[in-house]
Amino acid sequence: MFVLLIIGGGPGGVAAGVYAARKKIKTALVTDTFGGQSLVSTDVQNWVGTKSVSGFDLGKMLEEHLRAQEDIEIVDSDVVISVKDDGEKFVALTKNGKTLEAKFLFIASGSRRKKLNVPGEHELDGKGVAYCSTCDAPLFKGKVVAVVGGGNAGLEAVGDLLPYASKIYLLERGDHPKGDPVTLERIKKSEKLSIFTNVQTREILGDAFVKGLKYADTKSGETKELAVEGVFVEIGAVPNSEFVKELVELNKFGEIVVDHKTQRTSHPRIWAVGDVSDVLYKQNNISAGDAVKGILNIYEELSR
Amino acid sequence: MSNIIIYSTPNCIYCKMAKEFFAKNSVTYKEFNVADDEKAREEMVAKSHQLGVPVIDVDGEIFVGFDRTGLAKALKIQ
Repeated sequence: MFVLLIIGGGPGGVAAGVYAARKKIKTALVTDTFGGQSLVSTDVQNWVGTKSVSGFDLGKMLEEHLRAQEDIEIVDSDVVISVKDDGEKFVALTKNGKTLEAKFLFIASGSRRKKLNVPGEHELDGKGVAYCSTCDAPLFKGKVVAVVGGGNAGLEAVGDLLPYASKIYLLERGDHPKGDPVTLERIKKSEKLSIFTNVQTREILGDAFVKGLKYADTKSGETKELAVEGVFVEIGAVPNSEFVKELVELNKFGEIVVDHKTQRTSHPRIWAVGDVSDVLYKQNNISAGDAVKGILNIYEELSR
Repeated sequence: MSNIIIYSTPNCIYCKMAKEFFAKNSVTYKEFNVADDEKAREEMVAKSHQLGVPVIDVDGEIFVGFDRTGLAKALKIQ
């Protein structure tokens, strides 16, 4: 039986683990990997104290920092799939069949990629429909591709594809791409890029591999087709909160509602931080800072 | 000894994870960088019928992505 169970190995989970260990709280931490969603970033330039680090190395730094702590039980390569509360303690079950018991729960499970939910997306997943531009961009050498979503992730996907693809369509639902102006200016310099605004993706076409994409022009109401061999989906994220939806209050986006002063949720023994919470800005540094707040609040609770 | 091939791209994080997993378990493998090697790219697509990396071939058994549990089973790693 642990006092605290931390779920997640991104900046929030690791910061919580480090602080909890230093406060001598008997803690277990469960995570699939270390580094959170930045893991696939080629270059992170805003992790405070570090001018530039790859997502992979950031994950390594976090893991090393956590493993340097004494007396913390780390369960890696595993995921918590359900949590039950018996009124005194939580009983968490993992994908690999492990059971962990703890008095307090600290959720830093982050979020995962949102899907388009249009016909063809699931059927053609991996067959031209892609979710990791840093991984898969080189496979679209000389091909015409579409990137759906004009946020930061969408603009970065365009950047990853520029050295390889012969033509890139960026499809944005609103009237302008919402990502960082600096990135937008940089990618706009390429003649390979065409930006379509006020469009909604309706279907991904193809049989063995992607052949095209059907979209609606929301201003004219017309439906049009693009001949593409790749579709990179970058339309945001959904919080990984399903496993506690019976225990805590969620907002309409599925984010866990927290008291932003203490990170405590609607459940008196559950805290949440980072992208799974209803924090306004989803940032590595903020997740880490909020985790520190949460652990200090738990420490106060324990000292009472 | 199993015959293991990994098809990868240079910036692919899951490829790196798979290779670290191999290194940690003293598994030797052959690697093809499909960003440059067109022949290997075609081979990878023919084997996996898809375009995502990594693709890992363990004696003809094809894994798409870094499937740690599946690989551990195929390689009889605890």
